[in-house]
Amino acid sequence: MTEALLSKEIPVPRKWVGTPIKAKEFPRLITGQGRYVDDIKIPNMLYAALLRSPYAHAKIKRIDTSKAEKLPGVVAIVTQEDVLKYCKPYPQIVPPPADKLLDYCIAVDKVRFAGEPVAAVAATERAIAEDACELIEVEYEPLPPVMDAEEALKPDAPLVHEEVGTNLVWHEVFDYGDVDKAFAEADKVISLKLHHHRYGGAPTETHAVVADYDKGTGVLTIYCNNQMPMFCMALIGLSFNMPTDKIRIITPDIGGGFGSKILSYTYMMLISILAMKAGRPVKWMEDRRENLASGTHCNEATFYVEAAVKKDGTILGIKAKTLHDVGAYLRYEPVGALLWIQVSSGPYRFKNLRMDVNAIVTNKGPVAPIRGYGRIQHLWMLERTVEQVARQLGLDPIEVKLKNYVRPEEMPYVSPSGATYDSGDYPTALKKALQMINYDEWRRKQPELWRQGRFVGIGAALFQDSGTNNFAQVRLIYKNNPFSGNSRMAEMWMDEFGRIIVAVGSNPHGQCHETVVSQVVADVFGVTPDDVFVVPGFDSWVHGWTGHSGSYASQFAVSGIGAVLGAAKRLREKIATIAAHMLKAKPEDLEFKEGKVCVKGTDRCVAFWQVANLAYRNNLELPEGVEPGLRVIYTWKAPFKLPDLEKKTVNATLTYSYQAHACVVEVDPETGKVKILDYAVVDDCGVPINPHIVEGQVHGSTMNGIAAALFEEYVYSKDTGQLLASTFMDYLFPTALEIPDIKVDHMISPSPFTELGTKGVGEGSLVPLGSIAGAIEDALSPLGVVITDSHNPPERIYRMIKEAQKKRK
Amino acid sequence: MIPRSFEYLRPSTLQEAVQLLDKYEESKILAGGQSLIALMKLRLASPKYIIDITRIPGLSYVKEEGNKILIGPLTTHDTVENSPIIRNKCPILSEAASRIGDQQIRNRGTIAGTLCHADPSADVPTTFLALDGEVVAMGKDGERVIKAKDFFQDFFTTALNPNEVVKEVRVPVLPPKTGTAYIKHARREGDFAIVAVAAIITLDENNVCKSASISLGSVGPTPLRAVEVENALVGKKLTDEVIVAASELADRGISPPSDIHGSAEYRAEMAKVFTKRAIRLALSRIGG
Amino acid sequence: MAEKRRIKLTVNGVEMEGEAEPRTLLVHFIRDTLGLTGTHIGCDTGHCGCCTIIMNGVSVKSCMVLAYQAEGADILTIEGLAKDGKLHPIQEAFWENHGLQCGYCTPGQIMSAYFLLSRNPKPTEEEIRRGLEGNYCRCTGYVNIIKSVKAAAEKMSK
Repeated sequence: MTEALLSKEIPVPRKWVGTPIKAKEFPRLITGQGRYVDDIKIPNMLYAALLRSPYAHAKIKRIDTSKAEKLPGVVAIVTQEDVLKYCKPYPQIVPPPADKLLDYCIAVDKVRFAGEPVAAVAATERAIAEDACELIEVEYEPLPPVMDAEEALKPDAPLVHEEVGTNLVWHEVFDYGDVDKAFAEADKVISLKLHHHRYGGAPTETHAVVADYDKGTGVLTIYCNNQMPMFCMALIGLSFNMPTDKIRIITPDIGGGFGSKILSYTYMMLISILAMKAGRPVKWMEDRRENLASGTHCNEATFYVEAAVKKDGTILGIKAKTLHDVGAYLRYEPVGALLWIQVSSGPYRFKNLRMDVNAIVTNKGPVAPIRGYGRIQHLWMLERTVEQVARQLGLDPIEVKLKNYVRPEEMPYVSPSGATYDSGDYPTALKKALQMINYDEWRRKQPELWRQGRFVGIGAALFQDSGTNNFAQVRLIYKNNPFSGNSRMAEMWMDEFGRIIVAVGSNPHGQCHETVVSQVVADVFGVTPDDVFVVPGFDSWVHGWTGHSGSYASQFAVSGIGAVLGAAKRLREKIATIAAHMLKAKPEDLEFKEGKVCVKGTDRCVAFWQVANLAYRNNLELPEGVEPGLRVIYTWKAPFKLPDLEKKTVNATLTYSYQAHACVVEVDPETGKVKILDYAVVDDCGVPINPHIVEGQVHGSTMNGIAAALFEEYVYSKDTGQLLASTFMDYLFPTALEIPDIKVDHMISPSPFTELGTKGVGEGSLVPLGSIAGAIEDALSPLGVVITDSHNPPERIYRMIKEAQKKRK
Repeated sequence: MIPRSFEYLRPSTLQEAVQLLDKYEESKILAGGQSLIALMKLRLASPKYIIDITRIPGLSYVKEEGNKILIGPLTTHDTVENSPIIRNKCPILSEAASRIGDQQIRNRGTIAGTLCHADPSADVPTTFLALDGEVVAMGKDGERVIKAKDFFQDFFTTALNPNEVVKEVRVPVLPPKTGTAYIKHARREGDFAIVAVAAIITLDENNVCKSASISLGSVGPTPLRAVEVENALVGKKLTDEVIVAASELADRGISPPSDIHGSAEYRAEMAKVFTKRAIRLALSRIGG
Repeated sequence: MAEKRRIKLTVNGVEMEGEAEPRTLLVHFIRDTLGLTGTHIGCDTGHCGCCTIIMNGVSVKSCMVLAYQAEGADILTIEGLAKDGKLHPIQEAFWENHGLQCGYCTPGQIMSAYFLLSRNPKPTEEEIRRGLEGNYCRCTGYVNIIKSVKAAAEKMSK
């Protein structure tokens, strides 16, 4: 498929951009030389373990650490007392009264989910720290847990946060177009209740922190695998009341994130407190049981949807009440409950939409911005709704989708919520994906298969992967939130040997930023990617950063590359100025090639190192007014506007990649087990910088979606509040035997809003949640089964089949 | 995640292992360790003494003797899966071993280990029960043979005394005109079963069912023989109607657990479905 | 706490030794005591396969083995695959086929592939999938991992 990108029909914009070169990061990773947080060793370092709450909801009556303290090897123990000494509660982004919600890096007075940290121990060995945790006595007074968003809204429901006075932490109604008119004009109104389940990123590398407090300088260095450390920088600085010049955050290689690692700032602080108290560096590596239990799950959502439709399947408008179960603390929420605003009508062109949005706290683990954050839930809801529209009208779901898609000639298209979809051809993408699974043939065979008792079905869905977010969207949560726009910083320099070095404030974990930056820079300077060094990892003392820096929200190819391009042009201009002086030519007559600057069409050249020599060591030869050195910084800013707070509209994201998925599944009617017979994806992320990397992201996001649809669910006990999927025995990662071959093809609709035509890619929005639900429903359509949950394990389907069969009898 | 502290003992003979077991109360035999070490890391099991028998020579073998296959206790699942003797003479054991966990676990886990762990949803115990296998137990007072039907007593509990070890595992060489199948219903290929079925069917010269041995895993505290199913097969020509009718009896006498992958009612239904499928598959495998 | 004692073993062809207590897991011994951090930890319960190494010729999950059990063993870790600065064909194939992203599970994937190909030099796709069943990957959907192992098999059979 990589070849397809390079074929004639698709323009290759530059020499290296668009080429599937081998990733620069990989030689170290395939030889065991990658450096992850757990590989860091600092002299005198201690090892930490956390004691976590066995209860979902309980008062902490007493914590006695005396026995643990006496265990040889134990150096420091941190409990709520210490945390209150060191920290202020984290600031919240919700309006009153939920802004009063108290959140710290450890449970204070009360535990609010099973797995919440209650104490932290630092010892000379990890084993001793774990032993010590068992010696800490905690007296709890168990309280009834509230494990369901709707239950949590009942007047007699237990309160998760007494200081807030309600479990409803955010409520807002968004009304676009004329919804009442749409419903008045409808031929039919379709109603559905849907549930989007909890799954997560659960990367292979769990959260990890090494905290090192330097008493001499007062600098706290935190090595971690956080994906968005500059977001943490503000929270940590505010909570510790510590100036950020005293906080240094370093991320080395990171073992996957999928959004879950955005929230590790609570651990970064807790381990820092341990290090400060112990007076020694401390390492903490989360174990898997902790990782599963401690939250960083995706937003769970319940939808009450109504769709106003015409007989021919035209959708006039949608009303949806959504209940987001965000778990025990807000952390990044209620952003996840808002982010539907980036894809308000999804790929569809209906104009009338009313969203009644509710964010609710419960005694589950806190949610995190998991891959496809906030959009997946909404896009999945729209997809289920549109398919039910078709089925209830007796129409083909595929036809209804095609009928309602935004047309390519309508691009750029302004959605009801004010988001501008930049480019794309949704109908062609879906048709292409269907061709890849031989749609027509399956449709032809399907009646015969049904007659044989074989439940084979076809599903297709298209989700957008909105990237490069406008932080101003959070002002629709609370108008006073001091965030807006998006930005990235890149620093670039040529050293005195003519090598180009780049530092970007990102925290890649598989996205291969070293590779793509090298490709882009190589084109600007006429060199090869091997001539460009991208400083690996992230160090807040080395890499320039802004408050938006990090690796999240499908955007590096836009924001990161925007910064790199800006810096590259700035550096190129300076080199050209010096070279022009050396060559006695005009800068505009010069070209950069093979490590030299030449006068176009001649063999008059100066090598990069010669230019650099003037800039660094020989500066009396520099032209008048030129500052010595060859080092530049560029900060890219996204071209966004502030939201319209009255209409509640905002252009919330800059680019809209999308993926169309089509699949064939077979449901075993005796067991309810689903088998994927064929799977195809058509991806369009504008101009790809490195097709290998794009394709890898597509594969990964597809697998995440299949996993969520069929295997992974954080199941809690409704009675006890315990997480039942507490190890990998019950939280089921699919293996190589569960994931089918994934066929991928590409389309390229360059973004008109970015310099290279690139779009953010990465989240991919887990389209299989839509396509597989549709395929199961299609397979079981002779029984009239309606899929209303995003997770469909065998027993659930089995029960639906049995119910349907009973009704038919 | 690190186990609680323990003492590590490494006997050089099985006799010595038995003595150590006898001497130390909270002691536990460590063979492949693929279940035990995980439980110890989770601190759900915390023996004070670990008796590592993996260095004892001569405990990994597969040999045929008379109408029995003798298997050394430390024989790994991978060896069981790939042993030509087992594949030819008792293929169901090979099939069950091949479904355990994954390659690394099969490389390390042992046949005696999985039997002694006695997880009712594990692959080999269910099959071992259908095979009417035997365990040779060795204690300080000598050896005794324990039949499969007596071996599994309860969840994770066997008939071994605290100071006994498994010296050998024995399964029969299956007679001609026998077909076998081990299948399981699991969310993923290598998972512990929601329901597992081991079926061994032998026909007589007239293709009438001479004997049927069906055992079910993950439907009770131990693997269970589906006696009523077996009775409904023996003496009959195994038409599909007979198989379907017999399989409907698979939920008799079982007491399935409920967990997030399958409720008790679901398991009971799946016991019927998978019994039917296992019998059909076993029958289809009977050579001419 | 039980006493520590020194144990010896051969890792990547070199005899090494270090202190361990009975409860020390082999993976911690390799990473923390011997300093070979290419072998990773992803789950603690023997599921994910990040810690896969070759011990006495077969692939094992080193988080499910006690360090004492490896006394005297011959161990191969990811660091021992490349020879004289030249990548092993499996490593080359993973690089060329984009068989990884974050790289955290990769050493385990490569060691499992090494065992698979040592035993079955021309595996079918199904055999590759089965051979790698014990190694979770969250990034790649396994597509390019399978492709890499196929490519490695071809390279090695030449």
